Amino acid sequence: MSVDSVPANREFAKQLGVTFPILSDFKRTAVKDYGVFNEEQGFGNRATFLIDKEGIIQHIDEGNVAIDPTTVVEACNVLQRKKASP
Amino acid sequence: MYLRFLMSLVLLAALGGVALAQQPTPPKTHLKVGDPAPEFSLRATDGKTYKLSDFKGKKNVVLAIYVLAFTGG
Repeated sequence: MSVDSVPANREFAKQLGVTFPILSDFKRTAVKDYGVFNEEQGFGNRATFLIDKEGIIQHIDEGNVAIDPTTVVEACNVLQRKKASP
Repeated sequence: MYLRFLMSLVLLAALGGVALAQQPTPPKTHLKVGDPAPEFSLRATDGKTYKLSDFKGKKNVVLAIYVLAFTGG
């Protein structure tokens, strides 16, 4: 997800060869609600949130840490294991 | 004359460095692990609108926010 328009993200996805849909927060509502809006620059700072099935945040990566998906992938695995063992 | 020009250039570069160092650090989110994730309803590149609540009770969601399209990050 980014604050780019849908057409901009569509072109970006095409260039990258991304197969999944990318969300567009053009009105900057979600980035504000998630506390990552950069007022000076007008965009959302880089961040990754893992949200479980009940809508509870289970993991947050912010800033440059969020470039590397390793920690959030591990958090996903932990969540999956929790589900597997009752 | 040339030296003065060179010195002012060095000074400018130094000032630029200070300005960069003094840039405020990006705001940290107020959200914490264990908080309910705020609802969102956003249009996607496939033309559909996705809501967080659509996934409730069905799937875990990874919400990855990147800075801007056509940039490296």
